[in-house]
Amino acid sequence: MLKVENVKKAFGAATVLDGVNLTVSPGEVVSILGSSGSGKSTLIRCINGLEKLNGGRIVIDDFDVAKPKELAEARKRSATVFQLFNLYPHMTTLQNIALAPVEVLKRPRAEVEQEARALLASVGLSDKVDAYPAHLSGGQRQRVGICRALAMKPRYLLLDEVTSALDPEMTAEVLAILAKLAREGTTMLFVTHEVDFARQISNRIVFLDKGVLLVDLPTKKFFAASGGLAQPRIAQFLSKMKKD
Amino acid sequence: MRLDLTILAPYLGFLGQGAALTAVICLLSLAGAVVLGMLVAIARTSQTVWIRRLAFIYVDVFRNIPFIVQLFFFYYGLPEIGIYIDAITTGVIALSIAGGAYASDAIRSGILAIDNGILEAAEVSGLSKRVTFTRIVLPIALRTSVRPLGSVLINMILTSSILSTITVNELTGQAKIVASDTFRPFEVYAVLLVVYAALTWLVSIGISRLHKRLNRDLASEAA
Ligand SMILES: Nc1ncnc2c1ncn2[C@@H]1O[C@H](COP(=O)(O)OP(=O)(O)OP(=O)(O)O)[C@@H](O)[C@H]1O
Ligand SMILES: [Mg+2]
Repeated sequence: MLKVENVKKAFGAATVLDGVNLTVSPGEVVSILGSSGSGKSTLIRCINGLEKLNGGRIVIDDFDVAKPKELAEARKRSATVFQLFNLYPHMTTLQNIALAPVEVLKRPRAEVEQEARALLASVGLSDKVDAYPAHLSGGQRQRVGICRALAMKPRYLLLDEVTSALDPEMTAEVLAILAKLAREGTTMLFVTHEVDFARQISNRIVFLDKGVLLVDLPTKKFFAASGGLAQPRIAQFLSKMKKD
Repeated sequence: MRLDLTILAPYLGFLGQGAALTAVICLLSLAGAVVLGMLVAIARTSQTVWIRRLAFIYVDVFRNIPFIVQLFFFYYGLPEIGIYIDAITTGVIALSIAGGAYASDAIRSGILAIDNGILEAAEVSGLSKRVTFTRIVLPIALRTSVRPLGSVLINMILTSSILSTITVNELTGQAKIVASDTFRPFEVYAVLLVVYAALTWLVSIGISRLHKRLNRDLASEAA
């Protein structure tokens, strides 16, 4: 289980996360919605250890990310897909994907590369094995980003607005892959502005508002008039999203 | 006064030897400067204060002393305290040390220019600091610093002429000998001017090519 317990995070005087609690169990897809600046990215960055907590605790399968000795184990259990891909520009797609499994998990290169090719094939990029990121479209780069994360065989896949740098067509091709992963039972914590998509694939939806986790509801309930929509902040957010 | 280049014909091989020595010295010194520059660039980002300070002092000091003074210190000064190094080795060491100060700047800016998102991706995937540095940071930084490192090399070619003052018979050293043998300094040094200009011009073309080749696959500076 991935457990976020009463997490607090501040940048200087600004409190960005204010006592957030969240649990993600294996097999679940949990989407995080919230306006810009509500702390969604910060929460993801706390989970993958890029930000230090000011309070509370985050444990991934019992490994505490705040403890240097446990962080490495926690990181082996999660993998992150980034909004701006963050591929290694001097490496081919295959090298991008194979680097961490070989260096961190110490797995044999031949085996890792074989899996990497299979992953690339599964996202329709068989012909881009030896291409460099600069020669790929945004959608293709993000598919490589997803493969790079999956190659670590993470128990929890963290995704932070992975389609917001993409045009609608590329967004569709990336979302199709995520939908497939969801069907296959990949555990995902998914920050997004794609409300409709979140509704399709999520088991639960949580809503962050100014660093406070306002609701944590099963998807159906979140969109029900008596559930999430009963909260004025959420109703407002959803109607604004519809308009955009 | 007439320019009569034919009188230099018998000395072409001799001058060629000098040019070859210049090339060897500069390549060795470039290698030394890049290795030193890399170490110093790393040291300048070290967590340990005194290592950082030492690196800054090195860069500052060697950039602010005339090269000929550094060279004389190594060649004429060190033997006084019992350290004897032959002239060519002294030249290579001096050029490496002087060049290293500039190379560290070039490599350092290459390191600092790396997109933080890339480093974060490496960090969250669990890559160690060492692997991140050797497999990601350094390869990118070296690619992006090809041009500034090329300037270091060109500077080195020019500066290596000063080694003639400590009896190293590189290109300028040989030319001096030819000039005094033939009593035709005008012709000799006219040729020398052209040869150095041609040499640095060729090197700068080579550097541009290398830069293009190594960076064609990188997103930012593919052009
Ligand atoms: N490194 C930082 N230093 C200072 N403030 C920061 C830092 N990172 C984030 N913040 C602030 O924290 C707040 C939450 O930022 P965060 O990026 O988590 O929001 P978000 O919900 O992901 O927004 P968006 O939907 O725009 O991505 C913002 O007000 C932001 O300005
Ligand atoms: Mg964000």
